[in-house]
Amino acid sequence: MASRQASPSPSASMSGSLLQFDRFQSLVDVGFWHRLSVLKLDTLGIDQSPVPLVGFFAPHSRAHVSNHLNLLSESLPDPVKNASPLETHLGNRNKCPVPGILYNTNTLEGFKELDRDNLLQIEANKILADIQSGRVEEDSTLLLRFLVISFADLKTWSFRYLFAFPALVVDPPATLLSLQPATQILSAEEAESLSAACNEWRSSSLTAGIPFFIVSINSDSRATLRPLKDWEFCQGDQNKLLFGFYDPCHLKTNPGWPLRNFLTFICLRWKLQKIRFLCYRERLGLANLDVSLIGDALISIPKDFGEPQYIPKAVGWERNGNKLAFRHICLAESMDPQRLAVSAA
Amino acid sequence: MVLKQKFHEAFKGTVERMTGPRTVSAFKEKGVLSVSEFVLAGDNLVSKCPTWSWEAGEPSKRKSFLPPDKQYLITRNVPCLRRAISVEAEYDAAGGEVLIDNEDNDGWLATHGKPKETKSEEEDDLPSMETLEISKGRAIRSIPSYFGGEEEDDIPDMADFEDSGNLVEADDPATLQTPYFVTHEPEDENILRTRTYDISITYDKYYQTPRVWLTGYDESRMPLRPELVLDDVSQDHAHKTVTIEDHPHLPGKHASVHPCRHGAVMKKIIDVLMSRGVEPEVDKYLFLFLKFMASVIPTIEYDYTMDFDLGSSSS
Repeated sequence: MASRQASPSPSASMSGSLLQFDRFQSLVDVGFWHRLSVLKLDTLGIDQSPVPLVGFFAPHSRAHVSNHLNLLSESLPDPVKNASPLETHLGNRNKCPVPGILYNTNTLEGFKELDRDNLLQIEANKILADIQSGRVEEDSTLLLRFLVISFADLKTWSFRYLFAFPALVVDPPATLLSLQPATQILSAEEAESLSAACNEWRSSSLTAGIPFFIVSINSDSRATLRPLKDWEFCQGDQNKLLFGFYDPCHLKTNPGWPLRNFLTFICLRWKLQKIRFLCYRERLGLANLDVSLIGDALISIPKDFGEPQYIPKAVGWERNGNKLAFRHICLAESMDPQRLAVSAA
Repeated sequence: MVLKQKFHEAFKGTVERMTGPRTVSAFKEKGVLSVSEFVLAGDNLVSKCPTWSWEAGEPSKRKSFLPPDKQYLITRNVPCLRRAISVEAEYDAAGGEVLIDNEDNDGWLATHGKPKETKSEEEDDLPSMETLEISKGRAIRSIPSYFGGEEEDDIPDMADFEDSGNLVEADDPATLQTPYFVTHEPEDENILRTRTYDISITYDKYYQTPRVWLTGYDESRMPLRPELVLDDVSQDHAHKTVTIEDHPHLPGKHASVHPCRHGAVMKKIIDVLMSRGVEPEVDKYLFLFLKFMASVIPTIEYDYTMDFDLGSSSS
């Protein structure tokens, strides 16, 4: 049974402990439900086919709170334009796009009867396939695929939903050798150069929304950020390498959820077993290496990886508290035409 | 009151339709902004404080006088660790308030004294009854259905979900098992107060000033009723200058700082600066404006930098 405590003691993490990831958290803007209702009434009708979504997140940037995966009205396909939602959102540094999928059912029974284990496994299998095919190197956000199941009751304007952030479960699980603020691991010159490189990456519209990257630090302490597809160029040189990701988590003791599939990717695809990672975090929207963490993880290639039918288990349903329970929001006050008419009278 | 507000909205809407947007600068004379000055000041805010960004918003709600990709500004997930309503006493005790417009009761507070560290004074930390009630309710019903969920039969049947509970999930050792809420509560562990806000700034064509909107979320990331947002507004403003209205770009009702006196207050701030020999630049307008907004929403920790000193009274 895993510890119930939020923070394992630092001494435990020094001697090689189980690497535990802080869960991703969802936040759904009211606008999302408005757009979904319109989509359901005008376009989808009783069609229950899965709907592609785009969620948005950003690195942790403010003390005390983790960042969330946000669903906004533009997370749903635009009923007018038939454009893929992902493509239209590149370049906003505070809205890094993440692909997702929505299963919205027509009835409450249908919602409760959804085979959640199976739906989660389908998404996890997509992640595994994208790792093995190398698609992740072209589009790293595929590692962050998420899943939402919902029942939109348009008679009462109430919405029940549950998120999942699918993660592949590697057996045996990864071990954490150390985890410290980046400024304690890097020299002052390295830290300064890395901060500058990260700020440059985050302010360019081409890279701002790309949440996974490779940090290469040469013997002159100069840091460079490279996309995952540059891996083969990084391998040969003698530079120090760090595997960086936008970390939404605010905890000093644990990395956030995106690292989980990233480590699995690095291990399965690039066959590395000792991985130095960078939990990239910000303050006031700028790189901050005092709150960013550098850790060393050991991960072994799963025993049954070579087998043709290798399918790792998947986890990642969002908890409501400590329970697997769906969330519920009622928006009759802002959506019910009758009530709106009354309040406007 | 509501009716009056509606008449005013209708009047305002008509005037907005019939008058063109301001094109001549009246920044120093009236404390107002032209549309292009708003865009300029917004660009500067986004570049200096990158947690802010421009939004295009719903195409159907776009204002033609603004660039399509720069309809309003937003910063998300801004923590609010304590209710303004419960820290008010501290501010009074600190005595750091400066009224810069005392012609009537609607006077704006320019700056606050630095709030005292009162971690030991538990009485001041007591949250309002409203807050307490919500926290309590949530602890019992672990599904936050208070958001308008009046229908009893709407309370979801959790048994349906738990009996098919994913066993892999429960036993997964690599998932950090956190307590109910993951945010750090700064003081009392038992009372949960960390809310987060999305703060947006729109351009109000009628008053020719920026306008601030607040969208709140509770500790479990569920939307707050706009009325509960008033807990995080300085009580001098809660029921006067902060009102609940339709957002020009987002669906639903949102709490907003009414812009009717923004121009006058900004004019005073500019006059103070000029009397001290500081020449205010129009692209810094939003920094001054957000500094002034901090007196209305003192516990919401959004970002604004100051390139210059507002004066000796600033903290």
